[in-house]
Amino acid sequence: MSAYLNTRVSLYAGRLWQDEALDALVGAPDAVIADTLMQRGLPQLAAGFVNPADRQDARSLEQRIIAQILDETRVLIRPLSGDARTFLTFWTARFEISNVKTLLRSKMTGERPAAALARLTPMGTFGRLDNQDLAHAEDVSELLRRLEAGPYAGIVRHARRAFEHSHDPFSLDAALDRGYYEGLALRAQPLEVTVGAPFRGLMANLIDRINLVWLLRYRFNYKLPPAQVYYLLVGSRYSLSGARLQELAAQDSLEAVLAALPPAWQTLLAGATDIPGVFARMEHSAAEQAQRVLRSRAPDIARAFAYLILRERDLRAVRAVMRGRHLGLPDAAIRQALQRAPEVA
Amino acid sequence: MLRAEPLLKVQLLMLASEAQDAALALARFGVFNPAASAPDALAESPAAAYREAWLEAEARLSKLLEQCGDSDSLPIPADAEAPMLADLEELNGWLKEAWGACLACHESATQIADTRHHLAALEDTLAKLERLNVDLAHLLRADSLLAVNIGSLPAAELKRVTEALSMTHHLVSRFDQIGEQVFAVIAGPRMRHDEVRGLLAQAGWRELPVPDELRTHPQAARAWLEAERTRLDAQSGAACRIMDGLREQLGPRLHEARLRLALARPLAEAALAGVRGKGGLTALSGWIPQRQRAALRDTLDAHFHGRYWLDLREPTLGEVAEVPSLMRYPGWLKPFVPLVKSYGVPRYGEFDPALPFAFTWLLLFGAMFGDIGHGAVILLLSLGFARRLDRMAWVGMAAGVTSMLFGLLYGSIFGVEGFIEPLWLSPLHDPVRVLGVAVTFGVGFIVFTLLVNLGNKWAAGQIGEALFDSTGLAGLLFYLGAVGGLASLAGVADVAQPAWILAGVGITGVAAFKWHEALGGLGERMLVTLIETQETAIKLFSNTLSFMRVAAFSLNHVALALAVFAIAHGLGTAGHGLTLVLGNIVIIVLEGGIVAIQALRLMYFEGFSRFFSGDGREFVPLRIERA
Repeated sequence: MSAYLNTRVSLYAGRLWQDEALDALVGAPDAVIADTLMQRGLPQLAAGFVNPADRQDARSLEQRIIAQILDETRVLIRPLSGDARTFLTFWTARFEISNVKTLLRSKMTGERPAAALARLTPMGTFGRLDNQDLAHAEDVSELLRRLEAGPYAGIVRHARRAFEHSHDPFSLDAALDRGYYEGLALRAQPLEVTVGAPFRGLMANLIDRINLVWLLRYRFNYKLPPAQVYYLLVGSRYSLSGARLQELAAQDSLEAVLAALPPAWQTLLAGATDIPGVFARMEHSAAEQAQRVLRSRAPDIARAFAYLILRERDLRAVRAVMRGRHLGLPDAAIRQALQRAPEVA
Repeated sequence: MLRAEPLLKVQLLMLASEAQDAALALARFGVFNPAASAPDALAESPAAAYREAWLEAEARLSKLLEQCGDSDSLPIPADAEAPMLADLEELNGWLKEAWGACLACHESATQIADTRHHLAALEDTLAKLERLNVDLAHLLRADSLLAVNIGSLPAAELKRVTEALSMTHHLVSRFDQIGEQVFAVIAGPRMRHDEVRGLLAQAGWRELPVPDELRTHPQAARAWLEAERTRLDAQSGAACRIMDGLREQLGPRLHEARLRLALARPLAEAALAGVRGKGGLTALSGWIPQRQRAALRDTLDAHFHGRYWLDLREPTLGEVAEVPSLMRYPGWLKPFVPLVKSYGVPRYGEFDPALPFAFTWLLLFGAMFGDIGHGAVILLLSLGFARRLDRMAWVGMAAGVTSMLFGLLYGSIFGVEGFIEPLWLSPLHDPVRVLGVAVTFGVGFIVFTLLVNLGNKWAAGQIGEALFDSTGLAGLLFYLGAVGGLASLAGVADVAQPAWILAGVGITGVAAFKWHEALGGLGERMLVTLIETQETAIKLFSNTLSFMRVAAFSLNHVALALAVFAIAHGLGTAGHGLTLVLGNIVIIVLEGGIVAIQALRLMYFEGFSRFFSGDGREFVPLRIERA
């Protein structure tokens, strides 16, 4: 157990936003926003708020939030080695996969490289791709071939094959997302054995949540056949096992899916009538679980992972407040959008 | 040599239409390092479009050159002018077309290779299907109730696809695997076949085309495969001819494109740092050595005949961190510079450790590997491989000579002590003295690094850090006090009381500074102050002890030689000679390598880390060709 990491996570935990603090941020005057953000350990966002040009730029806000998350992850990773380090490093790769998607879309729309590059999230020391080189690929096929020669070859190879057959952007996105989360689950596996229940619980919550929400979206928004929906989900060894997911994918309506869930899940999702409702309830439950792990005497890596989950959720909420303020939305509307705990039916 | 050359900040204003020529002239000038910053009034970035077009064109050109060759040297005429933006855009457009044509050929070649691979797999499949004794014509009937697909998919996907297909009552039967591809037959009710199409496409399923011939006579199938191969050969030949034609057609213009893009490079590179402008004016900013002031004016006058405005000034204290470091070294010191730069580049105004590094590294190497014979072998090897080792041969020669000098001091030749009397001492016979000397050297070295750091911080205007930080004056006082106190405890000196007072004053100063610098709440500040102050003491203590390895390695050298002799004495004449030769090779290669690395490690971690931030910017002059 690293005393440094343990202390670091405990100190960082003090920066998490309680609902009241977010509520106060909604109504706070502009003059105190930068100070409030600084106090919460968000110097990147505070600096962005001071500059009026950046304040209006949604992209810049997004990039600053990710930069903040990467900064904190870098500090937490410092004392780690082996599987734990590999896992947290790959956790940040989500942002780079998102950059890959941006580049792929820019090639599909024929956007100029400079414009695409400006929209990418700077990954700092976590960056493993040569964005300049990738942005100058002539088309999607060339870009995918270049990516296949890089660190995400395993994820991209499959996406390329899927895309070659269908030329459908959805195939690409779905294959990249699935490839990423399967990679994450693979890297989590040794830690689940060594770290134990608290870490496994966090991973289970994450993968099960992603699988259920994707299943609902693919099945009822995109109207894909059950077999294809099942295929697109992340291979799971958690509460929603392969057999359970097959059964759920075969259902014909959201209500039927919810009714086919294990009893504990039915209680958790009671009252949800649409996919965002399901997502909100599951995210709330994940946050509660992460809070429990963070406050417990769980191993450091589990607490660090719990902190990062909560911090990201917080920063998404802060982004919603900042965007809402910038768009001049009424405080009540921002507060409604911010509703972090689902209303009990 | 100990500090970077003094630089001047250049602000050059000229007509926007001449910006590319100005950048080209500055690149030919050879010592202009572009930099950001320009008057706030110049709010536009006139070279951004130029850079964007250049980057796109350059990326396409390098891909074309990869396909079409033309890696000859590129002579650049002295009077050649840089292309305007419109020319560059036109060139970029042509390169896009040319690469499009090339890419089509390339894709076609890839597809042909892919199809060849597939035909080979199909032939393999055919052999397997023949053995299966299955009537394929019957199996693959289009009007059958059973839909059957024969094809391949990535091995990693097989399990998941099988599970997914079972949901639509389809069966997957694997019959072969080549590399990461699994060949399988998928069969299921035809009425549900539409449901699996999307899934198969998503899974990267690749259908094996089973020709009609295959469904009837295997011999006919083989004939069909042969015909397909012949067709592919013809296709491949045609593709090659197209590619050759393209190379021939594109060649001369590609050479011209290389030249124009090389001439456009200076403005495109300068734009990265930030070329500003407004209306018809453009400003280029950067750094030049002070000694080139007059030469710059001459260059600009020769090109622009007064159609420019030039401002030259010394860097302000606030922009010191942005100033690049231009170092000049004498030839004999240059081979050591890469070893320093592998740690980092000195900041502008910061002490450049290259010279003390060279002396100290050689001193440490010699002290740890002192032997006349082994040193002579290193010297001779370095001389023998001088051409191949290039500049590094000089490092080897110097290390060999130093090793020989210490060999004389230790009285050691190929590990044998006794042939000559040591001029100073024999490490094996007086190990305690060697340890004492090593630690004393370490103390001196650490004091030197702390003094250098103090000077660096003071010069950079960081007075607080210079006086109170753990690597500043307070750290130095603590260290000297602690060394004096410990020496008194050991009975070497008698300054215990003043020494401990000095150490106390020093560490209190460090703690106060850490408290002042720490951010966060009360608890976090206390924690940070406590840990960092404690770390100061531990680090200085452990760094000093690190120098004991110098003594340890000098002893190790003799001990290794003794071990070789002991083994050799137990063997016959031939074995004796062979063991001595092999043993000495092992000592030179293995121990020599370890000692070289240890000396480097001592320099980096016990030396550089204390005073050398290494985060300076290297002076990178604007150039026409890629650096």
